[in-house]
Amino acid sequence: MLKRSRLKRSRDGRGRAVGALAALALILSTAACSPAAESGGEGEAATLTLAIQAAPPSLDPAQLDEGAGTFVWSSLFDTLLKVDNDGTIQPNAAEAWEYSEDLLTLTLTLRDGLSLSTGDTITAEMAAANLERTRVTPGPQQPKLANVESITAPDDKTVALKLTQPDPSLVNYLAQATGVVADAATFDDPAAALRPVGSGPYTLSDTTADGTSYVLERRDDYWNAEEYPFETVTVKVIQDSTAIFNALQTGEVTAAAVQAPQREQAEGAGLTVTEVKSAGTMLLLLADREGTIVPALADERVRKAINLAFDRELYVSSLLGGVAQPTEQSFNINGAAYDAALEGTYDYDPEAARELLAEAGYADGFTLKMPSTVVSTTFEPAVTQSLADIGITVEWDPVPPQNIASSLTSAEYGAVVWFEGTNLAGREMANYFSPSGFLNPFHWQTPEFDQLLSDIANERDLDAQADLYKKATAYTVENALNAPIASIGALWATADGIELATDINVPKTVRMFAPPSD
Amino acid sequence: MPVYIIRRLGAGLVLALLVTFITFLLLSTSFEDVARTILGPSATPEVTEALIAERGWDRPVFVQYVDWLVNAAQGNFGVSVYTSLPVGPTVLQRLAVTLSVIIPALILTVILSTILGVWSASRGGAVDRLAQGISLVGYIVPGLLLAIGLVVIFAVQLKWLPATGYTPPGEDPAAWARSITIPVIVLVIGGVANMAAQVRGRMIDELRRDYVRTLRTRGTSTTSIVLRHALRNAASPALTVMSLEFIGMFGGALIIENVFALPGYGSFAFNASLQGDIPVIMGITAFGVLLVTGVNLLTDLANGWLNPKARVH
Repeated sequence: MLKRSRLKRSRDGRGRAVGALAALALILSTAACSPAAESGGEGEAATLTLAIQAAPPSLDPAQLDEGAGTFVWSSLFDTLLKVDNDGTIQPNAAEAWEYSEDLLTLTLTLRDGLSLSTGDTITAEMAAANLERTRVTPGPQQPKLANVESITAPDDKTVALKLTQPDPSLVNYLAQATGVVADAATFDDPAAALRPVGSGPYTLSDTTADGTSYVLERRDDYWNAEEYPFETVTVKVIQDSTAIFNALQTGEVTAAAVQAPQREQAEGAGLTVTEVKSAGTMLLLLADREGTIVPALADERVRKAINLAFDRELYVSSLLGGVAQPTEQSFNINGAAYDAALEGTYDYDPEAARELLAEAGYADGFTLKMPSTVVSTTFEPAVTQSLADIGITVEWDPVPPQNIASSLTSAEYGAVVWFEGTNLAGREMANYFSPSGFLNPFHWQTPEFDQLLSDIANERDLDAQADLYKKATAYTVENALNAPIASIGALWATADGIELATDINVPKTVRMFAPPSD
Repeated sequence: MPVYIIRRLGAGLVLALLVTFITFLLLSTSFEDVARTILGPSATPEVTEALIAERGWDRPVFVQYVDWLVNAAQGNFGVSVYTSLPVGPTVLQRLAVTLSVIIPALILTVILSTILGVWSASRGGAVDRLAQGISLVGYIVPGLLLAIGLVVIFAVQLKWLPATGYTPPGEDPAAWARSITIPVIVLVIGGVANMAAQVRGRMIDELRRDYVRTLRTRGTSTTSIVLRHALRNAASPALTVMSLEFIGMFGGALIIENVFALPGYGSFAFNASLQGDIPVIMGITAFGVLLVTGVNLLTDLANGWLNPKARVH
């Protein structure tokens, strides 16, 4: 009897299971057609679906951040100038710019036909109001206008910036987040942080899910719409790199950055993988060059010894998956400050390094405390070993992820393993070595280097300026101000129908991508 | 009964106050880091201080907490410092995503665990060993591995289901069902592994009791003994396991949400903790405590309904 009742129940159960299977089959059959439908056929409007790992923190024009979220805000806002796919600064909303003879006034001339997404005309007054607001509002862009004394709009087309001292980085800032133009009427509207009224080639569609998926629709009344071939751009925020890779393989995403170990698999799955050279620099920042907390670092011989301790080729091939190249310079290898002739100054030579340390009075080595963060963890065993080989003992001090920046700025550590995104030469020079630079927490400075920086700032001729940058770079290498290890590339995987339009590191805008040129 | 409910809710409220205050106290050391993160790498100390003052983060911790509490009591949980999203509505929205995965998973877990548990307990022998084997395998295979494996098979290779993303059920029920299928399967396998063993254990205990023998001697059918009598008595502890399972699934959902890029509560909480997004962490903590309290209360009430011995007066 027990058996019979069990049998009956199991039949009922089977009936339900069949029902569930039928439902599952229905789901699966509708699923099977959806990815194919999305990929689009010939002649259809071009679309781009990008994956980024972090959402833009804010779309308030004075609070923009230049991380991956740049893809979103740079589509919504025009910048006064722009960085082209070859890394040069070009006109954009401003069709021309000019410095005064003393380099203390920058005059920008707006082009005709600029309009907001609401259809209203953009005047010079509105552009100036944007800059003025950024100048006085605490935010990531504010410090970039620190040398700007006043911003005026003498007429409808002209914006004039008066400076307290020449600033070679200013035009670069105006080509990125500092130079955006938004509707001045929405400055005080809190909703603008999520739904701004912009001036750029795209507007946010209603299907946007804040923080998760940004759907951008091209504005047909935008002055330069033909330079933006994608009618719809969807920027999906997917934090996990494996999830991004899966989405690329299924066609849910058509362009995204991938990791070096995923390269082969991505190519196997029919994706095009393009390497962008010099997206960042991996280096050991020798921040305490004056020996405030680590006296040894004040000695040039010690800093040189540290430079000699790294087998850079080995770091590139085994730790960076080959998507990098060894470098002894802190700067962008595609930038004006890079000088190939300086490579080889510190070829791997632990023997010479130990001799230098002995000469400096550290024959028995010393202890170096460095912050251990999520970005340094992978490299810690190698760095520990490289430095141990020349007698320096590393002590790693755990630092939580949200404190990475402050681990550097707090000036608590004499040296820090750091990854810095590349930028244009002026910005990098200021960031790494100017007394107020973010990567110079101990405010190191020397009269010679100050002179070099000032010469650069006061040079109007770009070729002459490039020579001066190289002179400054030579100074940083010869004095071993840092111990750069490698210039790191980035890999972009794109699906059929999408090409990467650049092979160098440029600001993250949709202009990086294009439909196939043929 | 109403007195009991009010007392429990009161205890929940005190707990929420304590937990949120402690959380706030722990977070209060990182205001400067938060300001620095907002301002970016090139911020000067003066600008950082100006921002801290502007946001009122330089006031005494207790004053700030009371300020937060007064606002929260009025439903205003503030705005995320990193994403500019309003905390209250966003937490609810994220919670809805997570619940839309967890609730189907929980229902399936309960059904399957009951079937598996009752079946193996009442039948014993090979069936029991098989059921226990299934449980064990489900228990030892990590959810993350299972999730990645299923994505590779069903999304990447066969292209039957999406690998990432989420569609709200109100927008397109079929797309919603597709987007949660693999996550639900992963949660159910982990859940059944745990819960079926509990149901089985309780059922075996119940079936050995005197009243079962008495019922048998009176000629009551086995189906009736198993389903009407033993299962009802075994249901009460199973319900407690279920409520634990429900809360545990929120933790499991964090991994699932990351693997499938679901915009849920877990990934929201994880990101906020990683960045030190104080208003969001506070909002999530408050909602989390209330949720756990609410689930526990409902479990107790359901237990009382099922089991007269557990009834409170």
